[in-house]
Amino acid sequence: MECKFVPSVCSYCGTGCGILFQVVDGRLIGTLPMKTHPVNQGKLCIKGWNLHEHINSELRLKNPLIKTFGRFSRVNWDTAIRYTADRLQKIIKKHGPDSVGVLVSAKATNEENYLAQKFARAVIGTNNVDHCARL
Amino acid sequence: MQDTVKTWLTEGTVDIFLGYKMVEGHPIPHGFSRNCLDEIDEMVTGPARYSLEKFATQLLQIHPEAKIGILARDCTQRALNVLTIWQQISPGQIKTLQVNCCPSPLGSNTDCSYLQPAETGTYKAAHGVDGSQSLQTLEQMPEEERFDRWMYEFQKCIKCYGCRNVCPMCFCRECSLENKDLVGNGHLPPDIPIFHLVRAVHMAGRCIDCGLCEEACPAEIPLRMLYRKINDMMGTLFDYHTGSSPDQSPFSLLGDKPSSGLPPMTAELSKNK
Ligand code: SF4
Ligand code: SF4
Ligand code: SF4
Ligand code: SF4
Repeated sequence: MECKFVPSVCSYCGTGCGILFQVVDGRLIGTLPMKTHPVNQGKLCIKGWNLHEHINSELRLKNPLIKTFGRFSRVNWDTAIRYTADRLQKIIKKHGPDSVGVLVSAKATNEENYLAQKFARAVIGTNNVDHCARL
Repeated sequence: MQDTVKTWLTEGTVDIFLGYKMVEGHPIPHGFSRNCLDEIDEMVTGPARYSLEKFATQLLQIHPEAKIGILARDCTQRALNVLTIWQQISPGQIKTLQVNCCPSPLGSNTDCSYLQPAETGTYKAAHGVDGSQSLQTLEQMPEEERFDRWMYEFQKCIKCYGCRNVCPMCFCRECSLENKDLVGNGHLPPDIPIFHLVRAVHMAGRCIDCGLCEEACPAEIPLRMLYRKINDMMGTLFDYHTGSSPDQSPFSLLGDKPSSGLPPMTAELSKNK
């Protein structure tokens, strides 16, 4: 029997509330506010309280999907990344780098957001970077 | 304390011990087990307080036969009494290790500072309900004013359900607060005062005044005061003292024999006339 609480940060909005994931026997069964976290001091909104639900959801996507002829088909990560890179290259070649925009997310970490804008500016070559907290 | 827990685990007195562990400067609840006895040296008792008894109840739903040890303050003991009465745990299944405690009229040990009430701002003092005052002081206000003040508090509710989620006494499979006929969905504030009063009524004979709900409320509604009133009524009307023992059945207020008259309540009602 195992029962542990894993500290993390709520991924639903830019506030970044401190949370604890309640794990029993390796299965995530609940989310709690972290009492000593300086941001939320033991409180959460309804989204934070239900963070564990989307992790255990039946509808959760666990593999990349590619849509061909209006239907999604399951592919592995290598195929998905290759496909995306090919398409991006074709679009950039034909319409220029500013034909691509990158939307980053309040729900991703600071580091991931940094990498995404770096990818946009240094790899694709566009300043079209925006953030969901501005939408 | 660490040694006691180690002994309990190695001798099989308990299968798991719920306490707190320091993780990067934060006291985090943790289930200590026989497989990692070394971890127990990192065990701390505070200062943060989580609903360990709720975690124990949840564990028992998954492992009904488990023997659980738990770090207990006074409120934990009261909670375990009520959980036993409501048949969420069976007596003897949970073994407690007593530690110091927080202020409450239901308990006498008062040297944990965690529950010191937050300072009341001037706006709240003028229009809301100051949770740090006593129930008696609050009740000296005219009824209408009290109602307006409570409504001011309730309309701040963001319907996060934190008060229910955190409460060790909220163990219902189906919660009335999610029943569309009682509390409509899709708007804020939720239906007030019904949302808060439904929960308040459910806390009759259940709320053990741990204050976790109030600590979890982002809107700083003095919820504890509301449930104190309910359990104050349970005491004066029915001589029912929530959490004081593990064997006072909630039906005891009906008396030994079924009857249509409730003696203590009639006495109280005639006093009010
Ligand atoms: S709990 Fe709510 S407010 Fe806090 S980070 Fe998550 S979504 Fe944002
Ligand atoms: S609010 Fe009432 S119905 Fe909901 S879980 Fe608590 S006691 Fe049960
Ligand atoms: S004080 Fe709040 S959290 Fe504690 S038992 Fe009462 S209602 Fe539940
Ligand atoms: S914790 Fe406070 S804000 Fe959240 S539902 Fe309860 S009363 Fe409303």
